[in-house]
Amino acid sequence: MYIFMNQKDYLKQQHRKNFITGILFLTPTLVIFSMFILFPVLFSFFLSFHKWNMFSSSQSFIGFANYQRLLTDPEFWQVLKQTIMYTLGTVPLNMVIALFLAMMLNKKIKGKSFLRTAFFTPVIISPVAAALIWRWIYDPNFGLLNYATGLFGIPPVNWLNDSRAAMAALIIMGVWKTLGINMVLFSAGLQGIPDTYYEAAEMDGAGRWSKFWNITLPMLTPTTFFIMIMSMISSFQVFDIVYVLTSGGPMGSTKVMVFYMYEYAFKFFEMGYASAVAYIFFAMLAILTLLQVKYMRTRSGYEGI
Amino acid sequence: MKKFLTVLLVGCILFTACDRKQKQSENGVVTITFWHSFVASTILALEDLISQFEKEHPGIKINAQYVPTGDALIQKLITAIQSKTAPDISWIHSDFLADLVDADAIYEMAHFINGENGLSQEELSDIYPALMQYASLRKKIYSIPMEATNLALIYNKDLLRKAGYDAERPPQTWEELKEYALTLSEDYNHDGNYDQIGFFVPVYPASGPLSGWMMWQWVPYLWQAGGYIVNEAQTKVLYNSEAGVQALTLWKEIYNSLNLSSFTVDYDVAFASQRVAMSMDGPWNLPRFNKIMKNIDWAFAPLPEGPKKRATVVGGEYLVIFKQSPHPDESWAFIKWIIRPDVQARWAMKSGYLPVRQSVKSIPEFARYLEENPNFKVFVDQMEVAQAQRPLDNFGLQITRHIAEAIEAATLGGMDPQEALNRSAQKSNKLLKSVQNNK
Amino acid sequence: MANNNVKLQKLTKSILMHGVIYLLAFITIAPFIWMILTSLKDISDIFVYPPKWFPDKIQWNNYARAFQAAPFGRYYLNSIFVAVTVTLGQLITCSMAAYAFARLKFWGRDVLFYIFLGTMMIPYQVTMIPSFMVLHWLGWIDSYQAMIVPGLASAFGTFLLRQFFLTIPKELEEAAYIDGCSKFRVLWQIILPLSKPALATLAIFTFMGTFNDFIWALIVVNSEHLRTVQLGLAVFRDRYITDWDLLMAGSVMATLPILIVFFFAQKYFIKGITLSGIKG
Repeated sequence: MYIFMNQKDYLKQQHRKNFITGILFLTPTLVIFSMFILFPVLFSFFLSFHKWNMFSSSQSFIGFANYQRLLTDPEFWQVLKQTIMYTLGTVPLNMVIALFLAMMLNKKIKGKSFLRTAFFTPVIISPVAAALIWRWIYDPNFGLLNYATGLFGIPPVNWLNDSRAAMAALIIMGVWKTLGINMVLFSAGLQGIPDTYYEAAEMDGAGRWSKFWNITLPMLTPTTFFIMIMSMISSFQVFDIVYVLTSGGPMGSTKVMVFYMYEYAFKFFEMGYASAVAYIFFAMLAILTLLQVKYMRTRSGYEGI
Repeated sequence: MKKFLTVLLVGCILFTACDRKQKQSENGVVTITFWHSFVASTILALEDLISQFEKEHPGIKINAQYVPTGDALIQKLITAIQSKTAPDISWIHSDFLADLVDADAIYEMAHFINGENGLSQEELSDIYPALMQYASLRKKIYSIPMEATNLALIYNKDLLRKAGYDAERPPQTWEELKEYALTLSEDYNHDGNYDQIGFFVPVYPASGPLSGWMMWQWVPYLWQAGGYIVNEAQTKVLYNSEAGVQALTLWKEIYNSLNLSSFTVDYDVAFASQRVAMSMDGPWNLPRFNKIMKNIDWAFAPLPEGPKKRATVVGGEYLVIFKQSPHPDESWAFIKWIIRPDVQARWAMKSGYLPVRQSVKSIPEFARYLEENPNFKVFVDQMEVAQAQRPLDNFGLQITRHIAEAIEAATLGGMDPQEALNRSAQKSNKLLKSVQNNK
Repeated sequence: MANNNVKLQKLTKSILMHGVIYLLAFITIAPFIWMILTSLKDISDIFVYPPKWFPDKIQWNNYARAFQAAPFGRYYLNSIFVAVTVTLGQLITCSMAAYAFARLKFWGRDVLFYIFLGTMMIPYQVTMIPSFMVLHWLGWIDSYQAMIVPGLASAFGTFLLRQFFLTIPKELEEAAYIDGCSKFRVLWQIILPLSKPALATLAIFTFMGTFNDFIWALIVVNSEHLRTVQLGLAVFRDRYITDWDLLMAGSVMATLPILIVFFFAQKYFIKGITLSGIKG
């Protein structure tokens, strides 16, 4: 291959080729994305300024009324607080345990396939079946959990009927249910770190902690970023397990954002209001994500973000 | 790998090619689509009903489609109406009757009742008035009940006998209910928690799927104390009156004395394990209970009498006809046929639901069935004192939610009943006032 | 002497490590074991309080009865067909899009990517009705396309693969470009083989998500012959009545295909590259 144009033209040509190829590669995703993801998202934004009971074919424009209403609804703020509590309770715990497990399973352990599958089973079980099982685990009189804590002399806790314990109960079940996802993701990320890095470090006399801190963690940054964002989004959006385990109770103490939104959409038939809730929520999540991106960029400066 | 993909691709094509769509309408025969949520055990009775109808009406076929109840039904109806693929007839719950009416999605039944193939005034008033109240909104009838239910007391005769009571005489008044509840509760292992509960007070999270079920079971006690949910003009709620406080206090007292917050919420499981002596339920569980509780001597009884009167609450499934339906008259023919007394008798005996017409009791076959099935008879007899929640023209769902919150707060939350009811009434009245202001 | 001590230390550590992990695994899997045991119980064994672990008599026919309560054979075929198609489709579309986002520099790339991310922050409960409307306008209600096509694009999948592609050293691709490979060949023959763990991960999640989906299938499907397993299971669960024995049997049956896919996908969790392949 002989290059018969000067460098500037060559680069321009490459740029154009890149652009075209980029578009081509993106087209299938973009087409479907625009129709089934982007459009509904934008339509929901449109809906947030209207009143719509969903059975009728027309919506009535009400401007910012929905937003005003939700910002002055004390329940909205309580729900927000509870959602943040849930997220703070599950995400760090989840990530730490998942990383620990993924690293353990990366080493010489017998029965890796069985173990990985075992940790993944909670993810697969339907929320309904899982909630039934956990309701029995949390039973104040005969549940496994109170039985186990009783062995250590701890008095029985009224897990699902006490406002304070209920949130803890939800967090425990939440971590159990989603642990496997992050474990699998961390495992995939760990596979991408070449052994030669570790071998080189060992030859330089690096200890286990140093290897973890200087090789594993930095190389995991794109994966960790992904996991942190996804965990945050999904725990902010938790719904299924709340719906079947506590139904927002007792007395609304475990009501989370999407549950509140769902009620207004499908129980009180106010889709416009529900859309407004979704968008306020979106704004908060977006800001949080941007902050995380900034933080991770300054810390590791890694391009993986 | 490549081979595998080709096989997969070919398989997919073949698979979709074999996909045959059902024909909807054939020559001359009209097919009515009917959405219902009858569970597996009742479907046999439904099929019997449908085949009987089709035999008497050769030109009409009924295509019954199962839709999961609750939220799923709502979501399906929404999407169906929006995509103009609504069924001809569907079950609905009074929850969203108002929204369907506001969206102009269903027919006003007067259109058919006063039409050619209509109902006479006698026939209309033969339907239990409480049921028709549920079926109406703003004084207009929008649905027709297909079958009825109400609430009764279920109790374990063995446990009553063990405690020294007459097994044929369950509690008759509120005082007796409280007394029996306490006597029938036992703490076997002396750990401070009751292992056997005398009476199960159904308290559930107000924001959960069983919130309506909890409310439905409390409302008879409100009525028994002489109270009402809302005033006639629907400008103010009345559930925080003296009657309401009495009813809620009854629940609170039993709930607290039995320490029910540390008990399981699966009352039917607990009852079947003989850990609950008395509870409340509707007739729909009769077939199931007959099967799984064979080793227990149990029976249904009317709800105890309150300070002012006897009362229970009605429920049932209601049918509506959608305006999008291409065959409204045939749909109406099906509904009109279902409420015929002899059809109701046969349907009731097969399904375990209650008939909607009062004259059904005088059909000899049915009367005999009642004698042979005393538990079922309890429910049918209770229809005499059964009331319906007065349908709220506006904000019905929110007000129901407020009442549920009060119940949860007073029992589980330990709040004073008057305070809890007042707090909820404040919220409800605010909504009702906004309706007044917009008039 | 010292050698034996070190060996003993290592052995103890190994036993401890295995012990802790296996204990955690059994605790995690206990609810699932419960589900399987319950699916084999007679209804009278389920209706007891306090709940008991083992069935008095194993009821294999719970599975037979569950299978007969609705045309589950057809439902299974539908669920698997839809899940497999969507999984393969997503692997293709997401890897192409992810490669574009990871490696190709074009105007508006990062903004577009953040829009992708942003859409994941809106809960599906509010977007599912508008999505349904789009399907309706296309005339696809009550068809296989309705269950498959919307799932062919995924912000999640694109995001996941993009992160993974970013960890692959650029030198490999640059070498290929100098040799004159097209972008497509680079993706197909270099990037993808190195991304097996990520692809396997995405395959698992997509298969599972599609197989377990209930709400979307509920609203876009009416006809009996299109229904999926999750829709079928709903018949065991009423507002007040639940056929627990059949529901558990059905749920175990619904979980098995995913477990099988997961078990096999695990063998792709192998180390991707060794740097020594690049130098020299």
